[in-house]
Amino acid sequence: MPYKDFDRIVRFHEVQQVPPGLSVWLPLVDVTLITQTGSRINLPLLFDTGASVTTLRAEFYSILGLQSWDQGEKVQTATGGGMADAYKYIVTLEVFGKTITCPIHLNNQLPSNPLFMGLLGRDTVFNEFGFGFWENAHELYVTGNP
Amino acid sequence: MKYSIRSLQDIGEVKANLKAMLTSAKSPEQTLEMLDRIGLEPFVTEEGDLLVRIWSVAAEDFVSREQAAIIRAKKATSEKSDDLDWLSKNLTAIRGQYAGEWIAIYEGKVIDHAPALPELLARIFEFDRPLITFIPAEPVTWTFTYAL
Repeated sequence: MPYKDFDRIVRFHEVQQVPPGLSVWLPLVDVTLITQTGSRINLPLLFDTGASVTTLRAEFYSILGLQSWDQGEKVQTATGGGMADAYKYIVTLEVFGKTITCPIHLNNQLPSNPLFMGLLGRDTVFNEFGFGFWENAHELYVTGNP
Repeated sequence: MKYSIRSLQDIGEVKANLKAMLTSAKSPEQTLEMLDRIGLEPFVTEEGDLLVRIWSVAAEDFVSREQAAIIRAKKATSEKSDDLDWLSKNLTAIRGQYAGEWIAIYEGKVIDHAPALPELLARIFEFDRPLITFIPAEPVTWTFTYAL
């Protein structure tokens, strides 16, 4: 069995629900998006190995210098709720200390959740890292040198 | 925005800009706030002097890009308070106060809020890497299946 070494631990975030005592642990990642003007904002994204491409809420079109969310390349995506249109763009993200230029999808059907503005998906981004996932420990392990 | 200093001449320019900033500020508190916002860490001595920390390049190609990524990731975690952690711990109160709005969080506090994202971003441009999120007014579902 090969031995895998990681250099970073990302703790899941706990959300207390009602009734008290019920909690949900989410693998959330703080990702920096470099905007069209060069400024940087942090976006919480849900770590999602099931997402082919990193996906953001449609409202973020404005910080990419776009006039509307649906002016990029149209792509059909399969979601939990059926097929949905998304639009593809290229952006620069800072993820786990690395600067990565990668495709993203803007999607106007992501459910509203205050703890994540989109999904951190595989295309290009995951190529830069190795991941280990430990649900019971509520920890995601990351190496930038896979 | 953070200053990037590469030479003594650059440092001279930064000092000139600082002097102009000190003149334009209405109070010492405002000066300190402005310095914080542009990433120059201010420090007031016991004697009442104002010091700022200015970074300069000490050694180019100090470590490999791979090592730099590891170092930067660890440093970012330890230096900047975890705004996402703060948000998740204070979510109930934040949802009560900002339902239906976009908010910006910086170093463990909500620095601004607006009903539209462009409006919010236009007001917080001087902050480096604020956490941006939308607080929905409707009930949130915490169990989901995505896979986009």
